Amino acid sequence: MADYQAPLRDMRFVLNEVFEVSKLWAELPALAEVVDEDTANAILEEAGKVTAGIIAPLNRSGDEEGCSWDDGAVRTPAGFPAAYRAYAEGGWVGVGGDPRFGGMGMPKVISAQVEEMVNAANLSFGLYPMLTAGACLSLNAHASEELKEKYLPNMYEGRWAGSMCLTEPHAGTDLGIIRTKAEPQADGSYKVSGTKIFITGGEHDLTENIIHLVLAKLPDAPAGPKGISLFLVPKFLVNADGSLGERNALSCGSIEHKMGIKASATCVMNFDGATGWIVDAPNKGLAAMFTMMNYERLGVGIQGLATGERSYQSAVDYARERIQSRAPTGPQAKDKAADPIIVHPDVRRMLLTMKALNEGGRAFSSYVAMQLDTAKFSEDPATRKRAEELVALLTPVAKAFLTDMGLETTIHGQQVFGGHGFIREWGQEQLVRDCRITQIYEGTNGIQALDLVGRKVIGSGGAFYRHFAEEIKAFTDSADASLAEFVGPLKAAIANLEQMTAELLERAKANPNEIGAASVEYLQVFGYTAYAYMWALMARAALGKQDQDDFYASKLGTARFYFARILPRIHSLTAAVKAGSESLYLLDAAQF
Amino acid sequence: MPDYKAPLRDMRFLLDEVFDFPASYAALGASEATPDMVSAILEEGAKFCEQVLAPLNRSGDEEECQFEHGVVTTPKGFKEAFAQYAEGGWMGLAADASYGGQGLPHSLGLIVSEMVAAANQSWAMYPGLTHGAMSAIHAHGSEEQKQTYLTRMTEGRWTGTMCLTEAHCGTDLGIIKTRAVPQADGSYAISGSKIFISAGEHDMSENIVHLVLAKLPDAPAGTKGISLFIVPKFLPAAGGGVGARNAVSCGSIEHKMGIKASATCVINFDNATGYLIGEANKGLNCMFTMMNHARLGTGMQGLCLGEASFQGAVKYAGERLQMRALTGPKAPDKPADPIIVHPDVRRMLLTMKAFNEGNRALAYFTAQLLDQAHSADSAEQREEAEDLLAFLTPICKAFMTETGLEVTNLGMQVFGGHGFIREWGMEQLVRDCRIAPIYEGTNGIQALDLLGRKVLGSQGKLLRGFTKIVHKFCQAQAEHLQLKGYVAQLATLNQQWGELTQKIGMAAMSNPDEVGAASVDYLMFSGYVTLAYFWLRMAVVAQRRLDAGEGEAAFYQAKLATCAFYFKRLLPRTAAHLAAAEAGSECMMSLAAEHFAL
Repeated sequence: MADYQAPLRDMRFVLNEVFEVSKLWAELPALAEVVDEDTANAILEEAGKVTAGIIAPLNRSGDEEGCSWDDGAVRTPAGFPAAYRAYAEGGWVGVGGDPRFGGMGMPKVISAQVEEMVNAANLSFGLYPMLTAGACLSLNAHASEELKEKYLPNMYEGRWAGSMCLTEPHAGTDLGIIRTKAEPQADGSYKVSGTKIFITGGEHDLTENIIHLVLAKLPDAPAGPKGISLFLVPKFLVNADGSLGERNALSCGSIEHKMGIKASATCVMNFDGATGWIVDAPNKGLAAMFTMMNYERLGVGIQGLATGERSYQSAVDYARERIQSRAPTGPQAKDKAADPIIVHPDVRRMLLTMKALNEGGRAFSSYVAMQLDTAKFSEDPATRKRAEELVALLTPVAKAFLTDMGLETTIHGQQVFGGHGFIREWGQEQLVRDCRITQIYEGTNGIQALDLVGRKVIGSGGAFYRHFAEEIKAFTDSADASLAEFVGPLKAAIANLEQMTAELLERAKANPNEIGAASVEYLQVFGYTAYAYMWALMARAALGKQDQDDFYASKLGTARFYFARILPRIHSLTAAVKAGSESLYLLDAAQF
Repeated sequence: MPDYKAPLRDMRFLLDEVFDFPASYAALGASEATPDMVSAILEEGAKFCEQVLAPLNRSGDEEECQFEHGVVTTPKGFKEAFAQYAEGGWMGLAADASYGGQGLPHSLGLIVSEMVAAANQSWAMYPGLTHGAMSAIHAHGSEEQKQTYLTRMTEGRWTGTMCLTEAHCGTDLGIIKTRAVPQADGSYAISGSKIFISAGEHDMSENIVHLVLAKLPDAPAGTKGISLFIVPKFLPAAGGGVGARNAVSCGSIEHKMGIKASATCVINFDNATGYLIGEANKGLNCMFTMMNHARLGTGMQGLCLGEASFQGAVKYAGERLQMRALTGPKAPDKPADPIIVHPDVRRMLLTMKAFNEGNRALAYFTAQLLDQAHSADSAEQREEAEDLLAFLTPICKAFMTETGLEVTNLGMQVFGGHGFIREWGMEQLVRDCRIAPIYEGTNGIQALDLLGRKVLGSQGKLLRGFTKIVHKFCQAQAEHLQLKGYVAQLATLNQQWGELTQKIGMAAMSNPDEVGAASVDYLMFSGYVTLAYFWLRMAVVAQRRLDAGEGEAAFYQAKLATCAFYFKRLLPRTAAHLAAAEAGSECMMSLAAEHFAL
């Protein structure tokens, strides 16, 4: 595995040249105080150092060692606790945290880059701070001031970690049927009892305390998703002076044996009348979860990008060094026994596919992060509303499309290595295994697609969709003639999406199965079209500079590849969407 | 881990109803392969695979092979299963009767091997490699070599390997470094190091027969200077036993993503005694004779693991309760509906089913060609079969493994979070399948073979050999009452296939990079069209049975429904591959190597 190097050049390009993000910051008073272009550059550089220098070297060994469970205690692989301390001391756990409680207060567009770096360096490791940051977001948005003061500072500081306890053995997608109970106590606390599974970071040796956010039902709760409440349940109770008290009645029953992210502890958590405190109002638990959902889901999408980036870096290195067969056009490295495999068109196809999807993904996730920042920090209600709706629309796309593309990318990166790609020591196969979970957790990609089509596109009567389509049309209408080679196909792609969306809105009225039948392919058409927009924006930022700096020449070359070789996938996907649900329901369940 | 059930109904549908294997066996003079005999073999094979091999699959993955001081120990139960397999005569099923085999058709051997690999891919590697080595010895060995080695291998007492790859060369075998020095007694002293040798060392047989590619001292450079040698782990002793240990040793085994119970070895030869097989410097040719067979077998790995995954996924989707159907509750007495009611779960299951059954048809058709190429009466028939085989083999290898990987990933996705957990067995199928697009010539190499060597190399003749068959079929079925829409779709694609080929051929005349730029998308396009043809052949039979009121209507209805799904939801993928294959090489070649990472 090649050493990881944070793609700082490309991140700066996306932030400063494509989106000119400091202009947005200047318009948002809450951000104008904490961040400008120089601060951002310095932060990214520092994050690049920490992730490459301290965290990346633990990736391969962490996978081989895995986490181990012994009588309720979980040990993370060698080096993890020390690296976690270093990461926490740098303030990285609280990089996007509220400054009122000790967070760094950085916008999401910055913490998104940090997330990419830490996850590219070591996805298993990255999950621990990510779960903590997610728990903090929920608490900060919904907990009482008292709970916030008691828990947030230590969590941002990285002394305490967080977990999100949702899933139960019989309830994953369908949280309405959970069984965990919460009994109110005289002192205002609750006794929480039940079993949760698939709890990432549920138990470990990285921090002195773990703060679980647990979904449970009150005794008189209505059935279904409207009867779920959220509770804060710490591993160790916290005394009034902030010191740690006695152990709470919760324990880790076992950890899972998984395909990948083996150094991330995936726990069964048992709550046996554990003491907890309600977060937000009774029966509002799912709503409290949803506030952080957009952040988390974008974060999971970024994990797909991160593994893809790591795979690409190693694949390019290997393709330049590995010599095998001669170029079809005649020997290129005459002094060697064969040519480096990067001369072969098909190897370039794989590398360019990876590069185009990674860089498109980085631009897109940064774009969505900017919408999150606008939604959170803008002082203009109309601007905020538009940004919120764009976030609602684009979040499922970011989660599912970036992880689907991540899997494709890591598989290409493995294929470039030939037989060595299958061998664990080389590291490429681990990235495939690690990436594979991102399509499943935090709502499977099938669920994301239903969310996009059913709740967001159809649920808003097409209104959310129109924000995005109109922005793209405004861009294509005003684009300079020199961009014609990119704007032409982008126009066609958005017209295609437009027509497909209109048809689907119509068809879904007659038969609700049309939504689920079309949803996955619809989301992918949406994703490829969104990346086309990103690639056109990147081409605009690079055009004219290609003779001064090869970076821009490379951008333009990759943009051309994207439009010529990747974007045409929408034709096949559109045909599948238009085929409708009929062919899915010709069989009885028994006939499968 | 899902229980494996051999899909005998679907296998018989193809053998008896679609491809009429009984007639082709009769025509080839395989008189012992009667329908009753074939049926008995499939049933016995199914029992062995379901009851002996499948239960060792999950444990084999967790235990893996162990290496200590040159000795490799396979997981618990593997050795005993192999002894049972050998005792049952399965090693010699399709082997030459002159050397102790049962002499049944090759296709039957491949069909049995489908069940073996679906039950346990790692285990299947050991007999699989042995079969490969046996066919090379059979085709190129001297009578004495056949008597010495083939008989023992047919019995299952000795196993075989293929030692090709070295650390610095996999695809590019022309640059191998292993040397063979002639000795006074006619043998050779072999020295060198081979890597990625499946079944290179293990505890399942009393001897291991390595087939090793090496260069003679005076050999010309490149692929024309490679010879093939037999290098046994123990030198054969008179009377069929083993004698002295040869200077061959296993240096280590690889730690892999999957097929963990298959030993992937570094094999060191230190002046080991070897025997030339075939002519000097013709080693690659010797290998190529068995390549079609081996590549079809590797392609079937995609089908096998896909089938195992599908069986697990269907069962889970029928049992797992989660959410209500969008059209209203389907299991009102339960807290939620089984997930098979959800359209997207059905999309995944149908995609799996359509690829598996389509791939099975492609594989069996190709297996039938293997028989014909081997033992058809006239040279003309044999050549025709060989041409078709040459054309379809890279499609089988690459398309079936690409789609197999997609299928196993979908099967895992159906399980949600449980798919990622090893105990459930679904993720192992993905890991075990992932090697198939890589080994036995990466899929990129298969694509170059198809487009460069086979199609353009024959000036389109090999392509026309197949498109003509499709064309005739489309003409014959053009007015089919229920299927004519699909027939027309296939006819259009069949024509586009020829046009695409011409376009690339023209472009390649001025720029050889055009071949490699288009090849993978060309192969995938070819695969989808080929499968469309086989889906329609199945559908025509199914419709005929339904019209005649014969057999189980539900089975034939399911075939027709899956065919409809294939044409509506999967075949449109040809559009994207067509566009990519036509896009040309410029957008791929213009970036300087150093511009890939800036």
